[in-house]
Amino acid sequence: MNLLNYVPGDSFLHRLNPVTKLAAAFMYGIAAILCENVFAEALFIVVMILISATAGLFKRAVLLTGNLMILGLIMFVIQLLFVRDGSPLLVIGGVVLFTTGGLKSALLLSLRVIAAMLPLMLLFAITRMNDLCNALVKRLHLPYRYAFIVTTAFRFVPIFATEFHDIQDAQKARGVDFDTRNIFRKLGLIAPLCVPLLVSSLKKVDVSAMSAEMRGFELRGYKSGYKEYPFAARDMVTVLVLVVLIVATVVLKTIPK
Amino acid sequence: MIRFENVSFGYSEKRPILKDISFHIAKGDFVALIGANGAGKSTISRLTNGLLHPTGGRVYLGGKDTLKTPSSTLARGCGFLFQNPDRQICENTVKDEVAFSMKAQGWTEDRIKERTEQVLETFKLDPEWFPFSRSRGERQRIALAGVIACEPELLILDEPTTGLDYLECIRIMDYVTRLNEEKGVTALMVSHDMELVQSYAKSVIVLNHGEILGQGHTKEMMKNVDVLKKARVLPAQIPELALRFGDEFKDVFTIEEMLDALRGRVGKGGAL
Repeated sequence: MNLLNYVPGDSFLHRLNPVTKLAAAFMYGIAAILCENVFAEALFIVVMILISATAGLFKRAVLLTGNLMILGLIMFVIQLLFVRDGSPLLVIGGVVLFTTGGLKSALLLSLRVIAAMLPLMLLFAITRMNDLCNALVKRLHLPYRYAFIVTTAFRFVPIFATEFHDIQDAQKARGVDFDTRNIFRKLGLIAPLCVPLLVSSLKKVDVSAMSAEMRGFELRGYKSGYKEYPFAARDMVTVLVLVVLIVATVVLKTIPK
Repeated sequence: MIRFENVSFGYSEKRPILKDISFHIAKGDFVALIGANGAGKSTISRLTNGLLHPTGGRVYLGGKDTLKTPSSTLARGCGFLFQNPDRQICENTVKDEVAFSMKAQGWTEDRIKERTEQVLETFKLDPEWFPFSRSRGERQRIALAGVIACEPELLILDEPTTGLDYLECIRIMDYVTRLNEEKGVTALMVSHDMELVQSYAKSVIVLNHGEILGQGHTKEMMKNVDVLKKARVLPAQIPELALRFGDEFKDVFTIEEMLDALRGRVGKGGAL
């Protein structure tokens, strides 16, 4: 299952204006970044999974969280080893390995990465990139060229994810042991995959640019479109809720403990 | 060599890709999987070497259950040539690329060196070439060299000649045929090209919408126009023409056989 593909649907999330979806994903991420409480960060993740469930994306959100945990784990290890605040937690042979501050910082940062990235990942599942591009032009009056660049960049993410998966399959078929549970060995095995991924990505981008030029991309003036993207009450409510969330996060941060 | 027992596969229950299929491929056979796009051909090839796991039933490769065996273990003895060589190639020189699989499978340095030189010579490849800057045909040849280097007992070819010119296509297929005939390497090829299937495969499995419509010797299946049409496959031209000429031409499959049969009919004073 490609976790970044669009999933058609008619849920509340699907019916939001594409601009609102993009803004909401960023605002939720900002709130998660501003938060400094480990439990609240975990709550951000749980709430996002529950929100995804309302659009029939529970399984996808859980799988994405699992994948993001790999990145979270790397952040956790780095923070645990290098942050030296607080009192010693684990001392071996007189050497302080972990501190309480290091553990807290590691937990906070790893959860924060997951909480901030999850809504952006889920954005792909509920938004067609064409709709996002058109809505950015029509509602935010972004020049079409820039909207096209932004949405093309987003559109390439699931394509590259599929490509990466296929390249990984090709290497598995050659006997590369990606089934290993050793995370460091796995990272070492993934590094050589960057070469074919980079080559195919550059080729794809080149072909796409040529294809766009051949179809008169340079000649475009005003971008018109059949579909309209009006803001509805649900968009206002969504943005309002997220503004309140950000404000609440900032206020809670400033309250002395 | 390969056994599929009541295998089903799908990414969701609503849209199954394979529906309860069973077949067996014996060691030394050269089998072609044919069918329209979406028939399930590539899925079968990926289920065979454990890149995919069945959602129902069992797949056995060399007696090993693919569900219980890691794909890296199955890869020992099973080479897989992808349609797109760029997914496979990941090293900066041809010699490193050819040696890649052997290193991954834990061969000794001496054996790797010896085998790499041997394979480069066979495929007429320059060891210092930068693989990504070579032509499509050369890249496919480099990819095949990398697969063959590990001396597999089974070779899976997923549309191996797509986008290749005639000479490169013949070069690759002739090499695979030599391995099949001289070293007994089993070959499983996914292809849309009926001329290629007719020329090289010993037997054929015809697929349609995840089900097996027919299975048998290539000559037998190439004459089964009903099954081919149902599978939305265009038959090879010579067998189709032979069928139109009637029973007298039923064993005609190649241009030479067609010419002989035509000369025979004209010689007997018959009309075309």
